[in-house]
Amino acid sequence: MNLKVLDKRAIAPLVEALMDDYRVVGPQAKGSKFTFEAVTDPANLRFDYDTTILPPKKVLLPPQERLATFTLQEDLQVKTVLETEPTVLLGVHTCDLKAIQLLDEVFSKDFPDAQYLAQREQTILISLECLSPCDEHSFCKDMGTLTASEGSDIHLTEIDSAYIVDATTEAGEELLARYATVRDATEADMQKLNKELGAKWPKFNYQLDFETAKLPSMLEAAFEHPLWNDLGDRCLACGSCTNVCPTCYCFNVYDEVDMLLTKGTRSRNWDSCQLDEFARVAGGENFREARAARQRHRLMRKGKYIYEKFDELGCVGCGRCIRTCTAKISIVESFNTIHNGKK
Amino acid sequence: MTTNNKVKVAFFDFASCEGCQLTIVDALQTHLDLLDMVEIVQFREAMTEKGEDYVIAFVEGSCTRKCDEERLFKIREQAALVVALGACAHTGGVNALKNVQPSLQDVREYVYGDKADWYETYPTRPISAVIDVDAFIPGCPIDRGEFVKVVKNVLLGKTPGIPDYPICVECKLKENVCLLLEGQPCLGPVTRAGCGAICPTYGEGCEGCRGLIPHPNENAMKDVLDEAGLKLEEIMSRFTMYNAYQKEQIETVEERI
Ligand code: SF4
Ligand code: SF4
Ligand code: SF4
Ligand code: SF4
Ligand code: SF4
Repeated sequence: MNLKVLDKRAIAPLVEALMDDYRVVGPQAKGSKFTFEAVTDPANLRFDYDTTILPPKKVLLPPQERLATFTLQEDLQVKTVLETEPTVLLGVHTCDLKAIQLLDEVFSKDFPDAQYLAQREQTILISLECLSPCDEHSFCKDMGTLTASEGSDIHLTEIDSAYIVDATTEAGEELLARYATVRDATEADMQKLNKELGAKWPKFNYQLDFETAKLPSMLEAAFEHPLWNDLGDRCLACGSCTNVCPTCYCFNVYDEVDMLLTKGTRSRNWDSCQLDEFARVAGGENFREARAARQRHRLMRKGKYIYEKFDELGCVGCGRCIRTCTAKISIVESFNTIHNGKK
Repeated sequence: MTTNNKVKVAFFDFASCEGCQLTIVDALQTHLDLLDMVEIVQFREAMTEKGEDYVIAFVEGSCTRKCDEERLFKIREQAALVVALGACAHTGGVNALKNVQPSLQDVREYVYGDKADWYETYPTRPISAVIDVDAFIPGCPIDRGEFVKVVKNVLLGKTPGIPDYPICVECKLKENVCLLLEGQPCLGPVTRAGCGAICPTYGEGCEGCRGLIPHPNENAMKDVLDEAGLKLEEIMSRFTMYNAYQKEQIETVEERI
């Protein structure tokens, strides 16, 4: 491992230089919260952000995206649309990084997704170690995502007035060599790094009352749990919990044609299993009509179904779904209720 | 007007402010291609001609008088498709506020003073309570883009494409800071999307002008507004501002309070 040191004052020039060749997307303030936005002025970057409203997933899977255009005259001609651009995604916390690794699996297995993979290929990920919990809702320690040894191209850890820079891929090394002013880490820097990483651990609390390895089997046995009805009564079915989730990937595909039926566009937008119409099929039948069933479905996805398909839990513990829910429904509380009820 | 392949459409108004019709006048100026597809044969707000051979009727306004019914029946008889235009026609809109007042006579006197008896009135209803409606375009006023989309879809024989999901979806995708979570009242979780969450985007809580979503959880909404520190009267007035007619829903809320 060949660690480097990037002085905080060298960040703005680095970002400026990157902006010549890339769309640089990083955390910026929005009112009292933060969002990932394309950088227009490096001074607006906020590496001290807690969390963002939407996860950085939106760069790889935009909320709304064109997939293809087609013509309807004489014969049908379909053209795939790839609206991707070379991007540096900056300041990604490790929970979100883990989620991107899961999405990489989802969109390359079974049915490789042209748009996602094209944008992913052109994206350089620069992750950022959290040295304290973003807020009381995070449970990354439980989910094993409060640090990362892989998944990004460059990983940053703050030490005083600088960042320790770990380029873990060739693309990361090239980027550093080409754009950044860094120096080799000294023994003293390494000591600082180890001190920070050591001091960080006790600041994070476990929020779940059990080992996450138990989740799939625990949920398996909880299909008829009374919790679901309670959640169904409280849930507004607003879809916010899935829209803010870094691992949710459901989308809806729709076509739009012009007035004269000559041409059209196929697009997709994020969808949510919490919405009333999500499971409505042709003929009007809705196979997951009750809010309780939809709540169960979401938690089953997070703790069981995704695991069965991808060998990874579908939740990275970012806490966004808890923060965003106006009905104060918490995935942590729900999992604990199921666990403690069964003891 | 000459014969052509265009679909003949007409616009009608009942109790309303005509704001939705104005939005259409606007839309016709920015989407001229609409006029390639339709021929307007009657539109009091915008033209003097009055053709009666329309196929699609767009009806703005709510039914607030006995004498409105006859006109609505006639429109229904002539039109192959009736589209309710805007909140007044779609949900009764603000006109239905009078329904929750103690006495209609008082309401009439409040508005018309000593001429009150000159004006007929009865409880406000959306037009779907009087005649069958094939499609609706929600909002106070309607969204011009949505109007164009609905016209297009209806002409193509598709469903109108009005969202069934709540404002929160659009609000979240815009990454607005949630007003409810900051303690401000907002009906976004139970209100039909399609306006792009325009009010929360500009810092105002949603007042529900697009009507409720198909299966709103009003009890949970009440609890959440309660939690946001709203008083009972404030909660009720927010619910009734545009949705007084949807009494059933509101009564469920009242029962619990
Ligand atoms: S959940 Fe953990 S890893 Fe994610 S942002 Fe919060 S503190 Fe960082
Ligand atoms: S955010 Fe809360 S209220 Fe909205 S759908 Fe999710 S659980 Fe239900
Ligand atoms: S389920 Fe909730 S806590 Fe888990 S990854 Fe999704 S938003 Fe984060
Ligand atoms: S501001 Fe209103 S519409 Fe937006 S997310 Fe919050 S409750 Fe929903
Ligand atoms: S946010 Fe609510 S009140 Fe505002 S336009 Fe949309 S539906 Fe109407």
